[in-house]
Amino acid sequence: MQRTELVNHFQEKLFIPEMHATTKEGALGELLDLFVREKLIRNRDLVWEMLHQRETLGSTGIGKGVAIPHGRTTAASNVFIAFGKSSKGIDFDAIDKKPVHLFFMVIAPPHDEGNIYLPILGTLVTVLNDKNNRDRLLEVSSFADFVPIITGE
Amino acid sequence: MFKKDLEQLVSLQDLDLMIEEAVEVEKLGFSVTGYNELKTAREELAHVITKPLLFRYERLRAKLKRAIVPVKNDVCLGCFLRQPTSLGAKGREDDQIFTCENCGRMLYWLD
Repeated sequence: MQRTELVNHFQEKLFIPEMHATTKEGALGELLDLFVREKLIRNRDLVWEMLHQRETLGSTGIGKGVAIPHGRTTAASNVFIAFGKSSKGIDFDAIDKKPVHLFFMVIAPPHDEGNIYLPILGTLVTVLNDKNNRDRLLEVSSFADFVPIITGE
Repeated sequence: MFKKDLEQLVSLQDLDLMIEEAVEVEKLGFSVTGYNELKTAREELAHVITKPLLFRYERLRAKLKRAIVPVKNDVCLGCFLRQPTSLGAKGREDDQIFTCENCGRMLYWLD
C-alpha cells in the first residue's frame, strides 16, 4: 500500500496530540473512546473485549516506543486508524519492555473492501521502523503536522 | 433469544478472525506468543453459547467465512444487498437474530 493511500484512513477527529493516559488500559480506553465519540463503532464493550483478546495473543507494543493495537470487529463498518502520542511514555508491556510514546489503533470490519486491513498494518510497521519518522512523530502537535510524516513528504 | 446471544457470537467471530489472521500478522512483525491462550478463550466462549446457535454459526462460517456481518445504512456488508427498512427497525430493537435474505448471514446493525 502506498503511504499516500494509508493517510486516507486517518482523520483529525481520531488524533490525540498529547494523551492523558498513564497505563496500558488507560491508553487503550482513551483511543477507543475516540471511535465511540465519533460513532464509528456501535458497541464499546465488544471492541474493548476484542482489543484485550488481541493483547492476549501478544502485546501490540512492537518496540522502539511504538504500539499498534489492532483487530477486526463485527462492530465496525470501515477501517479507521486513531493516533495518540504520549510524551512521557506509557508502560504497554512492549516486546522490548520500553515505554510507548506513539500509538496507532487500527479497527477494521470483518470484511473490508479491497482487503486493505493487513496492508495497512504492514505499511504502518514499515513507516514506524524508520527512526526519522518516529522522531518526527514525537514532535507533532497538530494533524496538519502529522499528515506529511505519514505520506513521506 | 437475547441480544446477549448475538453479542457473544460477535465476540466469537472477532476471536475466530484474530486466530485466522495470526500467522499473517506475525509475518508483519507482531508478537503472537499467546496463540494457545487465544484458542482456549475461544473454546471457553463457544462453550457458553447455546448449541443450536453455535451450530448455525459454525455452518455459516464454513460456507461463507463470515457468519455475522454489520449492517450499515440498511446494507448488508456481507453481500451489499439493501435490507428492507422494516427489518432494520426490528433488527435494532428485537431480541431475535435476523439473517440477510440474499446471503443468509446473520445481521448486526451498526446504526
